[in-house]
Amino acid sequence: MFETVKFLIKKLVQDRTAAIGVFLILSLILIAIFAPILATHPADITEFHPPERLQGPSSEHYFGTDRMGSDIYSRLLYGARITIAIALIAISVSVIIGVPIGLLAGYYRNWVSDALMRVSDIFLAVPQIILAIAIAQTLGPSIQNVILALSATYWPFWTRLVYAETRSALNEPYVEASIALGASPSRVMILHVLPNISSSIIVRTTIGMGGTILTAAALGFLGLGPPPPSPEWGRTIAESREFLPEAWWYAAAPGIAIFLVVMGFNLLGDGLRDILDPRTRRSKGG
Amino acid sequence: MFKINIIKSLTLVMALILGGTMITPTGLEAKNKFIFANSSPYDTMDPHALYDVGRVAYRINLYDGLLRWLDNPPKLSPWLADSYDISEDGTSYTFHLNKGATFHDGSPVEASDVVYSIERILALKKGAYSLFTKSVEPGSTKAIDAHTVQFNLVEASSIFLATVPAIHILNSSLVQSHEVDGDLGAKWLSQNDAGSGSFELDRYDPAIGFSAKRFENHFMGWGDKYLDEIEFRTVIEINSRVLGLMNGDFHGTDGYLPQDQVKRLEASDNVNVQVEESMRIFYVILNHNREIMQDINFRKALSYAFDYDSFINDILGGSVARNPAPMPNNIWGNPTEEKGYTYDMDKAREYLAKVKKPIPEFVLGALAGYGQTGQAAALFQNSLTKLGLKTRIVEEPWSVVSKKMRDEQQMYDSLFIWKSTYYADPNNWIGELYSCDQIGARNNSWYCNPEVDALLNAARVEPDQAKRAVNYKKAAKLVMDDAGGIFVYNTVWFGPYNKDVKGVRFSPIGNAQEMRWVYFD
Amino acid sequence: MRILYLIFNRLVWFFPTVFGLLLLVFTISHIIPADPVAFLAGDNATNEQIADLRAQYGFDKPLYIQFINYVLGTFQGDLGISLYTQRPISDDLLGRLPATLELTFVSVLISAILGVPLGVIAAVYRNSVADHILRLITVSGLAIASFWLAILFQLFFAMELQWTPLQGRIDGWGPDHITGFFLLDSLLVGDWESFGSAFSHLVLPVATLAFPAMATIMRFTRAGVLDAINSNYVLYEQAMGFPERIIIWKYILRNALIGTVTQIGLIFGLLLAGTVVVEAVFDWPGLGLYAVQSIMNSDYNAIMGFTLITGTMFILINLLVDVLQGVMDPRSEL
Repeated sequence: MFETVKFLIKKLVQDRTAAIGVFLILSLILIAIFAPILATHPADITEFHPPERLQGPSSEHYFGTDRMGSDIYSRLLYGARITIAIALIAISVSVIIGVPIGLLAGYYRNWVSDALMRVSDIFLAVPQIILAIAIAQTLGPSIQNVILALSATYWPFWTRLVYAETRSALNEPYVEASIALGASPSRVMILHVLPNISSSIIVRTTIGMGGTILTAAALGFLGLGPPPPSPEWGRTIAESREFLPEAWWYAAAPGIAIFLVVMGFNLLGDGLRDILDPRTRRSKGG
Repeated sequence: MFKINIIKSLTLVMALILGGTMITPTGLEAKNKFIFANSSPYDTMDPHALYDVGRVAYRINLYDGLLRWLDNPPKLSPWLADSYDISEDGTSYTFHLNKGATFHDGSPVEASDVVYSIERILALKKGAYSLFTKSVEPGSTKAIDAHTVQFNLVEASSIFLATVPAIHILNSSLVQSHEVDGDLGAKWLSQNDAGSGSFELDRYDPAIGFSAKRFENHFMGWGDKYLDEIEFRTVIEINSRVLGLMNGDFHGTDGYLPQDQVKRLEASDNVNVQVEESMRIFYVILNHNREIMQDINFRKALSYAFDYDSFINDILGGSVARNPAPMPNNIWGNPTEEKGYTYDMDKAREYLAKVKKPIPEFVLGALAGYGQTGQAAALFQNSLTKLGLKTRIVEEPWSVVSKKMRDEQQMYDSLFIWKSTYYADPNNWIGELYSCDQIGARNNSWYCNPEVDALLNAARVEPDQAKRAVNYKKAAKLVMDDAGGIFVYNTVWFGPYNKDVKGVRFSPIGNAQEMRWVYFD
Repeated sequence: MRILYLIFNRLVWFFPTVFGLLLLVFTISHIIPADPVAFLAGDNATNEQIADLRAQYGFDKPLYIQFINYVLGTFQGDLGISLYTQRPISDDLLGRLPATLELTFVSVLISAILGVPLGVIAAVYRNSVADHILRLITVSGLAIASFWLAILFQLFFAMELQWTPLQGRIDGWGPDHITGFFLLDSLLVGDWESFGSAFSHLVLPVATLAFPAMATIMRFTRAGVLDAINSNYVLYEQAMGFPERIIIWKYILRNALIGTVTQIGLIFGLLLAGTVVVEAVFDWPGLGLYAVQSIMNSDYNAIMGFTLITGTMFILINLLVDVLQGVMDPRSEL
């Protein structure tokens, strides 16, 4: 296990773009953890200074101030926490729901597995964003509900993936052999199939983080994210629209932040795919 | 070789695409056509289906009422009715119709049309229906002759007259000919016109808006200058409305824009911003159902904890006027001498110290899509946090808010909201917001003070305005002393118009969207 | 036979899937805490007025009866009446469908026209400066939030430069409705003014939608071409001395594009979903904006109608892509 991790790190460092991805993600995590130290106006998450509203970037306010006169830079740092929390939890829940269903549906070949796949098809048939909007609206705007809405809409992606991977893994000689030797289904699934498909899951999960962050931001943008005065990035962009084009910095900072973070996960995902999943390596090519 | 070709063709494609962006929109429109950019979509053309402020334009331009509210301060003026008589006991109102009035199809406006219209409102139970539930019974309205119509009220009401303009008169035979399965013509009327108003519906598309042509034979006649055509187009995004106005694509838009946008418009050579004090108060509903909210010391602490000055002067750029009472400063019956509460954290702490019960976390409700309510809530939260109170802001769309407001359990602990003018009478504000019998309907604070209630009820039947004013003043003072709600400001209307537009007549009811006097200079 | 079986298998599941979709959407839309009726009745409505309206729309009946009524109606092509606009949902949806389809078609077209050649270039010149620049574009395209990109475009092209309109689909009423596609209609009737207006309004929303789509197609094409270049027969042809140009067009592209075609099918579906946010930013009067407004207004019937229509389109597109893939690539695992 340790060897694998060492190998992975070595490979990732060698791949320049993946290294950029790792760098961006690490920055995000560090920013989220050390937000109170890095922020120049940590109180501005809940405290406002209306006389100073809508000021441009300056040495006092690196990214300017918002409609309440709060420091956008400091709020951005705290927004990173929300972004990480939403993406991490939503993706974890999706994986926890999606993977076992995919495993079961892939392992057994009967109407139950067909039905399970159709259920996931139904979820996949509705545009994710629409389903997420509908659920988030139903439950009311808050961080928890955004996470719920995203989890409820994203799990079928893992089901689909794991299902297909399981089906092909079952054709592997050693899996066939262990089934022939009378290994119990759960043993086969956990000991043979799962390790075999884990790299695909890891790659999908990394790239999924990027997509989840985008959808979460879109929910925030549409007013279905955490309520004010939350420094959530999507909400900040929505707030800024009223003050464009004059207060351009208001929209610029959170947009760039989203961009960099999603790019980080996508680059890392690409890198991981090349390292872990030789079959799809072609995406990088020569 | 092929490499070069690919690059060549790519360059061509890109050039084409970029070139395409150079084509600027061609805003060539008929010379005498007024285009208004409206923020809410016109979902229906049925004048009885809606009773809101945002989409008032189709109702007042395509349709007429017996009376109409005009100008600012609003005056109740004769319209389809030349005159009216009120019986001694105040229950019977007889209107005498203008004999020259015709509908757009040329048929005369008669008493039977008025009867059909009020019966239709009562049967549909939509739009303005709620104004008449307690005053007009179905079947009680009589056509005395072709041009005389009599309303027989359940009991005397001094606000009935004020609500008469909400009865938009339909061409009854035209609508009846389009009735399907007893739907009172609802389906047909949702996209067609059966009115007698100054303009006649020309085109309507719910995704775009509507346009209407001048109705030459309108009973009031026309002056020397007028518009040939009006178009109300739905443009939801504020920036689009503002930019469109600045570059001349639009000739007007609604007058309740954020102050930052008003400043941009004022700086433009193309635009002229008209200013009027409106009657639309911004206030905080306090939910008196909550145990903690029943403590007057707590409510007073809250009233002292809102930073009125900062909100009005910094966030709204001084664009509104402080309004400390539960009715606009500029309506009669308002307690002008009362100064109300100021932002005073020491006093807030003082009152808070008198609160004996533990204070739970409470919710500040705001309207999604109305940035101002969110900013007010955030500002309020800011000072409440300093007082050591725990609060949570919940921002939800109007569809959700409007339901929760009616439910004892679901109603927020407090809610930032406006109250617009539906009819210019103090009852529109304090009478609806703080009467006991309106609880759960229009009284969304569950506030019931017998003393206030007695004053309001007496004012509702008293015909003499001077006596009514005394009651409203007393009631308002009581509500304020009681900290029944937190009253913040009264809206100023900044009507942006193309500089060539003249003749705009503003009234808080209708927001200057009646176009019959407007013309291009 | 395999193809027939595949089609049969998908069709058998089509109706249960649509039914499941209905059930899912019905469940979500009916636990929305908002009250569309209270909203509809206006802020001056009495409680009695609201109760009456609720009965009129059948909202007072038990949920399962509401569901049965809805399903029965759906089979007769009746999606109910919009609580908000008071019109039949099917009318509303049909009226807005062309706007969304026009936006999506043009976006797919642009993203394919740009994405395929750029993907080929990136593959042919792999690891060159051009490839790296294109890779940067691809990565950016997939990482940018569409609503932010839309605002950025508005800020720059509409507000600063004033080259394009800020929002909307056309100035005024547009050309006479023949197909509902403004570009097509204005060409058909020779209305150049409308064509110019429709075109200029399309530029920004299309650019917003097409950017990530182009990135996906580029990425996919590049991978496909590389795959083909690396496979043996191309090496063989090269050894035989065929001119490079012929090899690229005749062998590499043809093979690589098979995959791209199915990809474009999938992208069409994705863009349909992407229109929700993009239409909201550009006030584009299509299905996406309608959906967002319906959700905000808690317009049950409209939400269900929209989801049913888009869901069904999605299922059909997926079915088509599956079948296409089966036809073109017999090796694919079904």
